Amino acid sequence: MTDEFSEAGERRRIARWVADEVLPHEAKVRGWLRRARVSSEDIDEIIQEAYSRLSMLERVDHIDSGYSYFFSITRNLLTRRLKRQRIVPFEAIAEIDAFVDDKPSPERQVAGKIAYARILDMIELLPERCRQVMRLRKIEGWTQRAIAEHLGVTEKAIEKQIWTGVRMIREAWSRGEQDAENRLDYSERRGGEQ
Amino acid sequence: MMRPQDNSEQAAAWIARMDSSDWSAQGEAELQLWLAGDPLRRGALLQAEAAWLSLDKVDDGVAAIHGRQRFSRRTVLGTASALAATLIGALFWRRSGTVYRTEVGEIRHVPLADGSSATINSDSEVKVRLADNRREVRLASGEAWFRVMKDPVRPFVVEAGQVVVQAVGTAFSVRRRENGADVLVTEGVVETWAAQADGHRIRLVAGQSAFVGDNAEVRMAAATPSSVDRTLAWRSGTIDLSGERVVDAIDEFNRYNRRKLVLENPRLASEQFDGSFRTDDPEGFANAVGRSFGVAIDRNDPNVIRIGGPS
Repeated sequence: MTDEFSEAGERRRIARWVADEVLPHEAKVRGWLRRARVSSEDIDEIIQEAYSRLSMLERVDHIDSGYSYFFSITRNLLTRRLKRQRIVPFEAIAEIDAFVDDKPSPERQVAGKIAYARILDMIELLPERCRQVMRLRKIEGWTQRAIAEHLGVTEKAIEKQIWTGVRMIREAWSRGEQDAENRLDYSERRGGEQ
Repeated sequence: MMRPQDNSEQAAAWIARMDSSDWSAQGEAELQLWLAGDPLRRGALLQAEAAWLSLDKVDDGVAAIHGRQRFSRRTVLGTASALAATLIGALFWRRSGTVYRTEVGEIRHVPLADGSSATINSDSEVKVRLADNRREVRLASGEAWFRVMKDPVRPFVVEAGQVVVQAVGTAFSVRRRENGADVLVTEGVVETWAAQADGHRIRLVAGQSAFVGDNAEVRMAAATPSSVDRTLAWRSGTIDLSGERVVDAIDEFNRYNRRKLVLENPRLASEQFDGSFRTDDPEGFANAVGRSFGVAIDRNDPNVIRIGGPS
């Protein structure tokens, strides 16, 4: 409450909104970029640039659909990129033209709001040590220091586990982990990664 | 090499560090330095922070809705200025000559590298160039409100066609019209003139507004504080009507929406109307007009809402 209007408070409020309204749809926007034949490096860059645009927002309460908003930023960024390119893949044009029809139905938007149970599932997919730390931090609400004391390790070690956790959760959202059909695919891949 | 991936990795590390017990002003300064290194890092950090927050339990939907309602128009206007020059993004646009374009219905807040900020209205184009001796903004079309960071050696100059507005440190809006521009001052003092008639400068102080024609014609209007608030209500996504003519209100809504309002009944044109509406809710406005004047509203065409058709 006290920092409601401070810069940090504002930043947090926007991040909260992004967590609720944008992150759940990121995988779908990435899918759309893939269909437009954008390379995976370029997708990462466009998505990061789109989030940068969001970070410049002073407030978000005038935005009705985070998904549509994020999508249109992404689409504008892609259009601008294509203009610089001499040869534009036909698929890209088709996807940009098809954009208008690509808005989710109201039902889909509701479905996009992720149930808490699914978020718990995301934590379950983390490597063991990281999962334990993230559970204590996020579900039990312990501080990093308390977790360090409890586990008899340094605080830095806990911070490192949190780092891994943040990274993997973010990747999970990017891949659309919360979609059941993708999850199997993910756990298979995960075995090969580490 | 892989710039976005590196940014993402580092952003996650920052989130973890910020969450630790020894986060301090020193850390904050280092974070700002890191952010300044690449404009994409703001995005990486926001994404990581959102991922981190996504694990918190929120009462589904309820909190979000409350958050939305708590921000009344007044609150937003009051705090808009305080938030205008936040560090967020201030380091972002260091390049000179940046063009910002908004789509119909989009209202965008852009912090500038000098600490000033621009809030750009629907369907507008603004070009910004920050030079060492002068801060130049070209309003190619539409409307924008500027809050200018004080810098006596670098005047802040807005060009809207032939009309020029100059400030040192103040807040004002400029809206391009067919033959000139509207200038409205919310804080401090500005000087304005038509490029053709340099030398005939007029000074406007807070609360004053004027139409300056391309031909140097000037029409002054003393704006009351409430009318300033109303004219700039768009910054919070609101159209505030107080005795405006229906036909003018319709023009206003059509600036923000692809679905256009069409007045079928000319008798309503100069009727006056009051009310506060969201810029993206032309239907709400049409319904209110329909109820007030007892006329039919035709919504059959997805592109158009007809007010006062034959009933």
